[in-house]
Amino acid sequence: MSMAVGSGGGQNADMNVTPLIDVLLVLIIIFMVINPPQPKGLDALVPQPPPPNAPKNNTPDRTIVVQLIDRGAGQEPGVKINQEDTTWDGLQGRLTDIFKTRAEKVMFVKGDDNVPFADVATVIDIAHAAGVDKVGLITAKIEAGG
Amino acid sequence: MAISTRNEGAKVNSNINVTPMVDVMLVLLIIFMVITPMLQNGVSVDLAQVNNPERMPDAEKEDAMVVSVMRDGTVYFRSDKIPVDQLTQKVKDRLASQQDKRVYVKADARAKFGAVVAVVDNVRSAGVDQLGLLTDQKKTGHGAPPPPPAGGQ
Repeated sequence: MSMAVGSGGGQNADMNVTPLIDVLLVLIIIFMVINPPQPKGLDALVPQPPPPNAPKNNTPDRTIVVQLIDRGAGQEPGVKINQEDTTWDGLQGRLTDIFKTRAEKVMFVKGDDNVPFADVATVIDIAHAAGVDKVGLITAKIEAGG
Repeated sequence: MAISTRNEGAKVNSNINVTPMVDVMLVLLIIFMVITPMLQNGVSVDLAQVNNPERMPDAEKEDAMVVSVMRDGTVYFRSDKIPVDQLTQKVKDRLASQQDKRVYVKADARAKFGAVVAVVDNVRSAGVDQLGLLTDQKKTGHGAPPPPPAGGQ
């Protein structure tokens, strides 16, 4: 009799780790599945100075330059297409109109130093949405011809 | 005698020893937790959000030239802080051995455009003419302009 009692009352001293393993497995799977978001961006070009002996092809009347003008901190910067003032809402429509009939979809962006970068990115984004393939960044140095 | 034999049989433990498995799992978990934030190139900045960026899978390649511009105008080439005027030399050195001739500019949304222009000027002097301005996809909300028209014309 005493034998039977001893074998029947085998108390288990082990911890029940099954829930722990379940949680760990789920965490591992979550970390494996999360892969960092794909980098995204906007294409932009930087005009390089032409080689010194290259023939000049000046067509200044056809160049489109979108200009961002700083209007002080906290204010939305102003936008100009060439010399003509425009609004943020009207920019895309205006650019679409201009580039509808053109074969070379090239545009330049120029901005004041104090304009936040986000606004410049927005302009480039709008330009891409309007169908402009090549957006060049103009800096003061490039304008000076250096 | 017969009783004692049976007794030994009852002592066999049918549980699997899971301790080594838990050890391995914990180590894997920690490895994944540590690696996940380290997968991105350059320093982390608050990117500008735009409506239709293109995918730039090359920007996360290990040898991509990523120039980061922080909000206060400090410039990082990959993960090293450098003065803007040394950027030309750095990029020039790398450009020769580089497959992808594009430089990725990772600028903070609130950085002044002047700081970005300084980077662009220096990168341009190194002979780069293709830039990738890294941005985030804007969460679809109000006033999103329609996607670009398909095809040319």
